[in-house]
Amino acid sequence: MDDSTKQVLRQIIRRIPLNKLQNMLSKWEHLSKKQLRSLEFTQPKWLLCDNLLSICEENDLSMKHVTELEIIYRIDHPAQGSWNVCQLIDPEEEAVTADLLHFKQLFKAHLRGLISHVSVKTKKHEDGAIWIRIAWGDNFTQPNHLKPTYVVHHLQTPYVFVSGLTMKHKPLLHQALVLSAHYGGIKDVHLSGRCLTALRDLLMRQYKQVFPVKHPRLLLERSPLPSNPNIQMEHAKHAENRLQMAAEAFGEGILPKLETAVYKLETRFRENGNGMLGRREEPFRGVVKFASSNLLESLKYCVSSGMASAPVTPLLSSITQKGRNYFVITDKGPGASHTPGPNI
Amino acid sequence: METRLSATATPRNQTAPHRSSKSYGFSRRSLGVELTSRLGCTPGQLTAVRIPTNRGIPKPRNITEQVDPEHIALIVKKEWKLSYVTPLYQFGHTQLQSYSRQLAAFLAAEKQQGVAVEVGQELGFKVVFTAVLGLAETDDDAETVLIQIHSKSAFAAEGEAAKLTWSGWLSCVSGDVEYLRSMPPDFTCLPLFGASGAESLTTLVKSWFERTFDCYFGPLAINSTNLEWLAALWTGCHPDTNIRYLKLAWTIPAQPPLDVSYTVHPQDAWELWNSIRQESGLRDTVDIEEVSCFIKGLESHLFRHFRIYLSAGTLTKVSTTLGSAHQDGKIRITSSDMMTSVLALLTECALLKMPV
Amino acid sequence: MSLLKPLNKLPELNTANVLLVENEELFQKKLADAIVLLENNVNVIVRLARSLPLPLESRPRIDLVVFIVHLNSEQSLLSAEASLKHLDSSYFLGKVCFLVTGARCGTLPYERLTSLKKLAATLNSPLLMTEDRTTEGVNTVAQRVLAVLRVAAGLVPMATGLYLSSLTRCTVPTDPDWQNQD
Repeated sequence: MDDSTKQVLRQIIRRIPLNKLQNMLSKWEHLSKKQLRSLEFTQPKWLLCDNLLSICEENDLSMKHVTELEIIYRIDHPAQGSWNVCQLIDPEEEAVTADLLHFKQLFKAHLRGLISHVSVKTKKHEDGAIWIRIAWGDNFTQPNHLKPTYVVHHLQTPYVFVSGLTMKHKPLLHQALVLSAHYGGIKDVHLSGRCLTALRDLLMRQYKQVFPVKHPRLLLERSPLPSNPNIQMEHAKHAENRLQMAAEAFGEGILPKLETAVYKLETRFRENGNGMLGRREEPFRGVVKFASSNLLESLKYCVSSGMASAPVTPLLSSITQKGRNYFVITDKGPGASHTPGPNI
Repeated sequence: METRLSATATPRNQTAPHRSSKSYGFSRRSLGVELTSRLGCTPGQLTAVRIPTNRGIPKPRNITEQVDPEHIALIVKKEWKLSYVTPLYQFGHTQLQSYSRQLAAFLAAEKQQGVAVEVGQELGFKVVFTAVLGLAETDDDAETVLIQIHSKSAFAAEGEAAKLTWSGWLSCVSGDVEYLRSMPPDFTCLPLFGASGAESLTTLVKSWFERTFDCYFGPLAINSTNLEWLAALWTGCHPDTNIRYLKLAWTIPAQPPLDVSYTVHPQDAWELWNSIRQESGLRDTVDIEEVSCFIKGLESHLFRHFRIYLSAGTLTKVSTTLGSAHQDGKIRITSSDMMTSVLALLTECALLKMPV
Repeated sequence: MSLLKPLNKLPELNTANVLLVENEELFQKKLADAIVLLENNVNVIVRLARSLPLPLESRPRIDLVVFIVHLNSEQSLLSAEASLKHLDSSYFLGKVCFLVTGARCGTLPYERLTSLKKLAATLNSPLLMTEDRTTEGVNTVAQRVLAVLRVAAGLVPMATGLYLSSLTRCTVPTDPDWQNQD
């Protein structure tokens, strides 16, 4: 084991919380049962780490094995960083029939063709997704394993989830993906968040959606009714409408966990009366960011509680309907007030 | 007078403790008294200090000529947690050296008792009290006092210099003249306290002050009206100093809570502010109406896009490159040019909490 | 615009109707439950609304309108102000009262409470400070609202809402500064 391998292992151990470490190490399967038992998980982490390092040295483990531990941990705990989503476009015929092994081989080959020093490791997840860990180097330096890029792709879907990618490596990754998945191109869908499954659910509409109906009677049962016959709601119907509207815009039940939505406003200053900046033609520039531990849930609450006025603006409902959370809003085009955003 | 942020309309009445009824531009903080006597509600805090509804236009100015730049450097850029302090009994600016020794001894004694600290962390303390001369705006303001605590960790190498682990200050800038003059002779009013450093040390310093000068510390929140003042104050500076951005943050009480932040392009923010100022005829003073018109304008611009009532929530933070202020009483002043204006505003907030 | 009028319907026997208006709909249910539980002698009917005007439906005569204002939200005050326009002026002869929550909170702008007090004072209506977080607080305010309601509904002999409100209405401090305002 060389120094850089040790350094990478130390970093991985540092990231894994102590209470999850034992489980992770046993999943890793590179330590014997006896060795695993010899580790004391009540020890301080630095001491534990030293002991682990000496065992790994004994077993003659290499960087390849060490990164495997990281990939296992990352698959189990994907919410370690921000994920961005890309969409592959213009599928070729082979795209439909692509199989995992073939994709893996092609991807590695293509990427190595584009850049000389790169280390790629893949792992198939139980749900069929392929996880790719890429450590980038360049023509003169060895791959940097301390800052890897993670790519998650479900074959037969056009979506690719990427975490920890720098601008420098973006074109390389994109090219390798397009070539190996047999697509014509790739574009950014302007969706990002920490929760990988939420992004996937949002894009593939795997949450309970609500559609406009004529008689939304079902919702009434869910709205809390007064417990006493002497208490009467004057605005029960309004409340019901708001609930229905909120559900139509943001869905129902457990909603995908998005954290933020960002709107870059380049619209004219609009304000009720007073004529502030009235004659100004140039856009009033600003960035609005909505943040919450569960954004869709918060927005839904705003609508259903009346903190947002009805009807739900297309700007907010676009998050679910278009599956993105970065928008550039301009005044261009009659009616539609938002246009697709540029590359971030 | 323009350079002074507040109290431009305060009658400069030397002797009379009662205000002349001609004073304008102020509204008295409302008291829950008339009702409470009949229905038994708890009254709020009673105070006779009034809330200004207009202020002079703050002009950025270079205070480095009056104040030691080293002192300014110690105050700018750090984030301070604010408290208000009731007037100090028998506090003397001439005694600072003796206070340094007393506080150091007090800290050491408290630490050795093992109260509320990590064991074996800091043993030796060096405390420095400094008077920051020149920050006071009027003759009635007491000079600002800066407190620095240097300490050595137990594991520090031999001969290693003690590190600055905590700093704090007590200040009074453009305090309400009438209130300051009504103070009994033994009291010094330094109503604004900022602390930066370990919470445990803040607590100890506060308790030393409370014991030594018979005063009381309480948390100082910056309410949305004052945050709006600060936003307007900073935006107004844009032609002189580039503010880079104006960022306003609200929290909407949804479930889970929703944070909305709006970062406005500095030039556009200034043009909006300027158009409001133009409309009201560019007087020497800024009215609260203009300030709230500015914020309402921004809020309604957002409402037109997102149809969310920001007024259902609270404004929690405003920031520009010149500084930032948070509702819970955390401030950061990055530009010394605007320091007196901001401190004057905060002094005023603190004075509202003073007992009468 | 449909004005809500206090006297366009006959009262029902031994019945009092109270309307709780609260934009946030957070506190009114709790308060309504407390009011209904507290009163045994009279048939108290609590109606809950977000704002006025009310939907066009037939409803019995409303004896007391209570506006609940949360000081932590500007919207709460704005909404109450807007709703007031839909009340007939004869309601302000002792059939309106304001409940305020959160007045203790240190981070609130003082101006909000001041403007609410001015509002209540100009409308000759009482303003009750309320603690909405504790059961005790809710019960206390329920008792107070009930006391006003009984009078306003004419269930207390020898007392009228107008008479009570002349005693309980919110008044502005008799301070020279205050009177110089506006």
